[in-house]
Amino acid sequence: MIPGADRDSTPWWEAVARHELLQQRCHDCGRWRWPPRAICGECGSFAWSWLPASGEGTVLAWIRTRHGFLPGLEAPYVTVQVALAEQDDITMIGSWESAAEPTIGQRVRAVFVSRSGGVGETTVGWSSA
Amino acid sequence: MSLRDRAAIVGVGYTEFSKNSGVSTLALALRAISNACADAGLSIHDVDGLSTHRVGDSVQAAVVAHALGLRDVTYLSDQFGGGSMSHTTVGQAALAVSAGIADVVVCWRAINARSEFRMGGTDRPPPDVVEFQYQVPYGYATPPQQFAMWASAYIDRFGLRREDLGQVAVRQRGYASHSDRAMMRTPITMDDYLSARWIVEPLCLLDCCLETDAAVAVVVTSAERARDLPHPPALVSGAVWGSGHTLYSNHRGDLTTSAAVDAGARLWAMAGVGPGDVDVACLYDAFTPLVLMQLEDYGFCAKGDAAGFYAEDRLLVNPHGGHLSEGYVHGLNHLAAAVEQIRGGKHAALSTGQCGYVAGSMSAIVLRSDG
Repeated sequence: MIPGADRDSTPWWEAVARHELLQQRCHDCGRWRWPPRAICGECGSFAWSWLPASGEGTVLAWIRTRHGFLPGLEAPYVTVQVALAEQDDITMIGSWESAAEPTIGQRVRAVFVSRSGGVGETTVGWSSA
Repeated sequence: MSLRDRAAIVGVGYTEFSKNSGVSTLALALRAISNACADAGLSIHDVDGLSTHRVGDSVQAAVVAHALGLRDVTYLSDQFGGGSMSHTTVGQAALAVSAGIADVVVCWRAINARSEFRMGGTDRPPPDVVEFQYQVPYGYATPPQQFAMWASAYIDRFGLRREDLGQVAVRQRGYASHSDRAMMRTPITMDDYLSARWIVEPLCLLDCCLETDAAVAVVVTSAERARDLPHPPALVSGAVWGSGHTLYSNHRGDLTTSAAVDAGARLWAMAGVGPGDVDVACLYDAFTPLVLMQLEDYGFCAKGDAAGFYAEDRLLVNPHGGHLSEGYVHGLNHLAAAVEQIRGGKHAALSTGQCGYVAGSMSAIVLRSDG
């Protein structure tokens, strides 16, 4: 299980484990939102659906971690922040899964990165579109 | 009724800045508070308000009140957050004093940020922040990573060179070289900067703040009472605390502008002065690009012009050496430095906490000399 996963996010992480990228969308005003929340920040509605996201996005920013901060994770590695095609104020952090380094503004697509397949063992990465 | 000039900072207190204090955060807090009260010419038992902030890394305010023997605390504030909160505690202390809730409020930050709880620490669970679950699995968990991400968008948008960031590190180290308190006093050159090892591209070692064991405390009381105390008062002319970007930007798609754009405008209006009236700025500098971004977002120069503005050296910025070279006490050492500048004859100072990325909140204060 992902450390810190909660009752709002568990359905999202379970979908990721099935290699599905879901996003919450407000039933009433149609705004997408992220991370998972009980209320729409636009219209205040508590009604939403989990819908499949296109998995398309644009690189907003990226870094290369050169110092090994976390035990068991060997530096260097590249991490990106991606603005989703659905709505440009929705951004996700994820691992970079292409060989060539990313460029800001580059179009990308989501890929699923599995270590062994259980919930929390699969994460969302990004590669060049 | 405005908060402007109704309260003042009358005392500042420090502990030693070190890599290993050897004592608890409670002991650090008590030492800094005791020093701040002595500096203010007040007794610890004059204190009736206490405020601190922490992220699971420091002693509770109520424990400090108990240790100090304070029985009837009228204002007790114990807030969650890191560097974004440093000026919140003091701004709210000014509010409490102005409203007659308390007479003398002491605000502090006490951390063993090197020897016990390293920020974003790899040797402890992440703080209780709901969004971390979407980041830690990617090996993205520490402030250098979070701010490098922000910096990459900022650098890309304005075409900054490495030297544009390096000038901040070099100049602040120069200031710290004259300090008795600073942890890093050996001057550095641009070549040193350019050859420093990468931590998280685009940030190298010398773009990053220090990790410090220390406490800093400030004493806030009414402007009226302040005039009877030993030091010239540093009037709290304006104070803001509010929301900023979170790690997911709070529906702000643009990573190159901080919450200081909105909050700064409120701050200047409250203080009745503008950026052009300020003769020193102590800007939260966990990482060098934050200094440049705040020069723009608090209105000292146009968006995208900060590197050139800083190079002209027309505004005194972080004369204490900042987090990069003095030490990292989460913004409160910036406010203490601003007080010292006002006591030294400066007329107006801006001091800022983290400008609102990661934590989703920001804070800042304008201080003025009296009269």
